[in-house]
Amino acid sequence: MIKVSKLCLVVLLTVWITTGCWNLKEPDQLAFSLGAGLDLLEDGQLQLSSQIVIPSGMGGQEGSIGKKNKTFRVVSATGRNVYDAVPNIQLQLPRSLFIGQRRIILIGQRLAEHGIDDLFDEFIRNPQSEMRSRIYVVKDADAKDILAATPIFESYSSTELVDKQEAIGLKSYYFRNFLSDALRPSLQPILPALSLSASKQTVYSGSAIFNKNDGLKLIGFLNTQEAAYANWITGRQKRLVVTSFVKRGQGTVSLKLHTLDRRIRVKIVNHEIKIEVRLKGKGTLVENNSNLNPTKENDLRIIQVELSRITQKSVQQLIEKVQKQYKTDIFGFGESVHRHYPSQWKALKKNWYATFPGLDVKVKVELQCSDPGEANSSIKIIP
Amino acid sequence: MSLSGWQLIWIIITEVCAIIGIRISPAIAASNQDAWLSILIGGVFGTVLTLLVVHLSMLHPNQTLTQFSRGMLGNWLGRMITLPYLIAWCLFCAGLLREFSGFLQPILIDRTPLWIMMLLILSLMIFLTYSSGMKGIGRFCEIIGPLIIFVLIVSFILNVSNADWHNLLPVYVDSGWISIIKGSVGPAFWFPGPFTLLVLIAFMKNPQQAISKSMIGLGITVSMVLVATLMVLMVFGPNFASKIRFTYFMYVRTIDILNFIQNVDIFFMFIWLFGVTAQLSLYLFIASYEMAQWFNVKNWRRMIWFIAPVIFILAILIPNETAFTFYDSFWMNVIFPVCGIGIPFLLWIVSIAKRNESNKKIDNNCRKG
Repeated sequence: MIKVSKLCLVVLLTVWITTGCWNLKEPDQLAFSLGAGLDLLEDGQLQLSSQIVIPSGMGGQEGSIGKKNKTFRVVSATGRNVYDAVPNIQLQLPRSLFIGQRRIILIGQRLAEHGIDDLFDEFIRNPQSEMRSRIYVVKDADAKDILAATPIFESYSSTELVDKQEAIGLKSYYFRNFLSDALRPSLQPILPALSLSASKQTVYSGSAIFNKNDGLKLIGFLNTQEAAYANWITGRQKRLVVTSFVKRGQGTVSLKLHTLDRRIRVKIVNHEIKIEVRLKGKGTLVENNSNLNPTKENDLRIIQVELSRITQKSVQQLIEKVQKQYKTDIFGFGESVHRHYPSQWKALKKNWYATFPGLDVKVKVELQCSDPGEANSSIKIIP
Repeated sequence: MSLSGWQLIWIIITEVCAIIGIRISPAIAASNQDAWLSILIGGVFGTVLTLLVVHLSMLHPNQTLTQFSRGMLGNWLGRMITLPYLIAWCLFCAGLLREFSGFLQPILIDRTPLWIMMLLILSLMIFLTYSSGMKGIGRFCEIIGPLIIFVLIVSFILNVSNADWHNLLPVYVDSGWISIIKGSVGPAFWFPGPFTLLVLIAFMKNPQQAISKSMIGLGITVSMVLVATLMVLMVFGPNFASKIRFTYFMYVRTIDILNFIQNVDIFFMFIWLFGVTAQLSLYLFIASYEMAQWFNVKNWRRMIWFIAPVIFILAILIPNETAFTFYDSFWMNVIFPVCGIGIPFLLWIVSIAKRNESNKKIDNNCRKG
């Protein structure tokens, strides 16, 4: 008995001693990849670019004389699929590549136009993968260029791109959200787009529209204004500024909306689908160059009605444009029909692609100015 | 004996680790956004099966499965009937050991051979079981059970911001009853904690509490699995979730609060390891104890040295992950119908019949007297 308990103790000791030390890898043996960029080269090859952190460039005292060290480097290699390029990137690196911190996934425009439906398996399957990556499409440039662009505040452009979504008023849109949308049969995914300015700065430039029925190919872009409305309808917009010319006040008015609400109502009457999009927004009046005084109830109402009317028109135009030009249901109307009329949806599902362009969509926008700002009538210098 | 009511509850609850880890994805694959309905219905069926097993045990106070079936059906028939359970327990242990190591290895220590991981976990199991048996396992569960529940609730709260309840719509119509029931079969069988209660109840200090305590344990387990399924569905959406193998683990990986609380999966894995070790030890103990009863050996500890190597060899024999498809269908089609429903039901009928008979005899004796 005592013998056996001694044996047990020995077994337990070995457990303590041998738990996984040879698997240890110190951070200074790893090359952290913060962002991945995917491009299609001119000759049709897939190129993976990786933004690699250079930790020695990170620290350093502020105000130290001389040029600041580079904090990252972009390394690229080609491959037949995403992971096929990783060993080729490794060839250029003296430390082993670690992709568990890949915060950003960028897709170049040429690749997106070619179709990206078979590109995403690795990002989930690989046990090292990161579930909190965000994804962007790159407009008029290569993903590699965006990765290589000089960041403004932070040390890495990738971390800046993560924060950018929040800064421009979007809800966090993760790579996994995109996959969830893309795998849902009744929805066409859209992705935020980036482009490079003339001074080589990354600029948010709206949304990229994809067609799932055709290999998830990029079929067009929405500009930032249109993208904001589209994101409002799909519930991905957090904040928005609406500016328009108010006729009765002979001037422009800006309303900064901080609460956005949306409701999509579906009605099927005599086999005809009717969709009503209701958008509600509440916010603060931040600029008023009209003759109206927003502290007066009557004037305020005029401003609200006018802003709502103009926004409603723009949203209506956007929906018509998408219906006619792109013919893809990026607003999730199909998903709304699916949720409201699940049994009818089974029959509608197959032909939704053909139904969507002819869909009867009514838009109703209600903007509310909950705070007129810190002034009463406009501070306009009139001689 | 040695098991308090709370210990029984916590022992039942620790099985939540195995169920949440492995059983959510198949349910989602079967019934998409209605997987939570599958879990709920599975919970109801599981409760019925548990009641059957617990009641059967309570008819034979202080006797474990092998003891009372031998007592009731005679030495040889009793032994025959408990043999499938011994096989099932060893298989379960081997399967869980292999699957959990296979899950940990690529994520945590990808350059460590699988068998070393399994050997390490096995050593812990042997240590816990050998040193203190049922008492130790009960106390261990009493400590880690609350920890597991705490960690689960934290994981639910931290991911509320990522959840979108629209992902649960439309309810029912898309899948229909057939798919929902299909998805509920797995959870229904796993919830009673494959057959452990047939042995556990005999160790309770107050066996008359068995029904209430096991129902509390099962209730907490089912509700935890239910919330986990709902959260997974709301975070990933049904179409994406059904493609992920270990959905709950991926779910934990999505936690990201203010760029500050993130990469918490490592902590979860630690707690998970505790829970799975507790479960594995429990099965090792039960298999050894019942084996000892089977062979009429007084010292059940000696059986560990036979059962543990068997579990290890079985686990090593499982060649790869694809074998689990066969392993699962073997459980679903053979082990559960036989050991989970058939034999307990048979034993229960025989017990009831015998009890009525003896009651009559007593009555008759009284009358004669």
